[in-house]
Amino acid sequence: MDPTSRPAVVIDNGTGYTKMGFAGNVEPCFILPSAVAVNESFLNQSRTSSSKANWLAQHSAGVMADLDFFVGEEALAKSRSSNTYNLSYPIKHGQVDNWDAMERYWQQCIFNYLRCDPEDHYFLLTESPLTAPESREYTGEIMFETFNVPGLYIAVNSVLALAAGYTTSKCEMTGVVVDVGDGATHVVPVADGYVIGSSIKSIPIAGKDVTLFIQQLMRERGEHVPPEDSFEVARKVKEMHCYTCSDIVKEFNKHDKEPAKYIKQWRGIKPKTGAPYSCDIGYERFLGPEVFFNPEIYSSDFTTPLPAVIDKCIQSAPIDTRRALYKNIVLSGGSTMFKDFGRRLQRDLKKIVDTRVLASEARLGGEIKSQPVEVNVVSHPIQRFAVWFGGSVLASTPEFFAPVGLEIEEFCAMTFHS
Amino acid sequence: MILLQSHSRFLLQTLLNRVQNLDKAVELDYHWVEFDDVRYHILVSMKNTNVLLLSVSLPIPPPEAVFMGGLPFGAIEAIKAAYGVVVQILDPPRDGFNLTLKLNLAKLPPDEEHRYALLVKIASVREVVLGAPLRVVLKHLASRTVVPDVDRFLALVHRPKESFFLVPQPDKVTVVFPMRFKDSIDTALATSFLQEAPAEALSANAGFVSFVIFPRHVEGKKLDRTVWNLSTFHAYVSYHVKALDRAKPGGEEKKKSPNSRSFKRLSLKEARANSIS
Repeated sequence: MDPTSRPAVVIDNGTGYTKMGFAGNVEPCFILPSAVAVNESFLNQSRTSSSKANWLAQHSAGVMADLDFFVGEEALAKSRSSNTYNLSYPIKHGQVDNWDAMERYWQQCIFNYLRCDPEDHYFLLTESPLTAPESREYTGEIMFETFNVPGLYIAVNSVLALAAGYTTSKCEMTGVVVDVGDGATHVVPVADGYVIGSSIKSIPIAGKDVTLFIQQLMRERGEHVPPEDSFEVARKVKEMHCYTCSDIVKEFNKHDKEPAKYIKQWRGIKPKTGAPYSCDIGYERFLGPEVFFNPEIYSSDFTTPLPAVIDKCIQSAPIDTRRALYKNIVLSGGSTMFKDFGRRLQRDLKKIVDTRVLASEARLGGEIKSQPVEVNVVSHPIQRFAVWFGGSVLASTPEFFAPVGLEIEEFCAMTFHS
Repeated sequence: MILLQSHSRFLLQTLLNRVQNLDKAVELDYHWVEFDDVRYHILVSMKNTNVLLLSVSLPIPPPEAVFMGGLPFGAIEAIKAAYGVVVQILDPPRDGFNLTLKLNLAKLPPDEEHRYALLVKIASVREVVLGAPLRVVLKHLASRTVVPDVDRFLALVHRPKESFFLVPQPDKVTVVFPMRFKDSIDTALATSFLQEAPAEALSANAGFVSFVIFPRHVEGKKLDRTVWNLSTFHAYVSYHVKALDRAKPGGEEKKKSPNSRSFKRLSLKEARANSIS
């Protein structure tokens, strides 16, 4: 049977969530936390008894350990309810950190969630623009040698995020992708589909930091959240109640004037005793996302606001691409989903650009007027899985199967036989 | 996870999601493929959100397998028996599919538990349809009779252009699986895993596996599990072959994070030792 007659499998492994599904669809089938819970008790047994006579026992212990694990929500639930399962997150800051866990994760994604035979489908996986070639080689090794996939394409997630706009408007492959995930934030300029590698900027503040900041604010105010639950509560608060404000001082005043309108309630159940509890959600609603615009409120190490980083990124790109880059700034990743995030970003960036234009005009004594620079931040409703959608679009074009097949062979030759 | 579940996880998730949000009008159009080339398509239109069209395409049957009207024999009866009034079979099915079911979500039982059980059953549609002939034969076995008008053996499709064989007898049914794998390593692993490799491999490069099913295997509730386990036996084996691939001894040290460390080049001797182990 010809694998090209079936839709390709598209998996976007993020630090926080993995998006997976089949090409040609608008949405991924599953969005799962990227977590694996492994029963380690089997492995310990096999380590303590290392005599050769025990080989069979060891072997079957190994097989059991290889089968007894859970991923996603089930992994979170297992590790909470039982001590024998160890929870691990295979991806840290956008890079695969634990290959054994990652392979298990893929195995479950393919066989238990998508329930497809990996030999029957082409695969499209994603990587960050900063991924090392070694990591790509490992991914290829696992996909080809363990799963026997007929073909594999590893796309750069920022390019896919740009491609996600492909169907909605025209095919615009020049732009800056602002990718704010759970574990990493990258600002990636792309010109005609090619990443301008030297201009990529990374920021050590991402979705997880927003969660940590909210957790810290709630703890400092003395909200009665059980400590073992506080991170999860902070994450939910972030996902459900946070928004971007236009001005912090004004927002503080609004909250103080009408607390009934702005202060929300969180209701939960204590995991140990089962007793219900409730707490207030106040300023953290807008202070959480504010860490991107005023990082000094959260961290003293990194204090450059996101709009300034984007401006620096575009200024470092080749001069003939800059106008096009300012014109198409695309948001991607779950942590760009805060209400009005795009609008605030556009306003702040426009301010920086206009100030510079005015300054240069003043320097020239007002003799030369430059054309105004158009700044445009694009947000679309599928931002959370824009990368996946871009992959789905790319993998459903006929070109995906034809020329890429060749490339894959080169890819194999490059990575495995060198 | 040792055994595959009989329902499609994504189909069940979609159905549950739909039932919980019946008042919200959404458009849904989704295609996906499961192992053994079973394809699904779900369609919900804005016009009537209580209605969900579920189309299923089955693996292409080999010439020896018996298909009637694009479906294995007994499938229509099995669908009617399993789903009742909730489901209507559309004739002809959507283009490119063997079967299209029209689900009326308003007719689901109000009782939470029953409703969930029925949705799981709908999500297990491939078991109901593909397992139908096997179910007929095994039901006869439970009453110790033989299906009328059947030759000495019966071919049933389970993978594209591949079938497995049944030899029905009043007191037992013998089920024979030819095992084929594309990858030579998988073939070797499967042979050792199955512990049974006759030398004369005809069209099966990993030998044959046969099961003898006795009436006690198909009593009451055991019937469903037996039908499912037999009809997805190949997927079960290939899943475990992949798991064994991972469990190769010595694999553990090899898979370390590449971060901040360059690759260790194997010397020729080490490489040879590795390939033998």
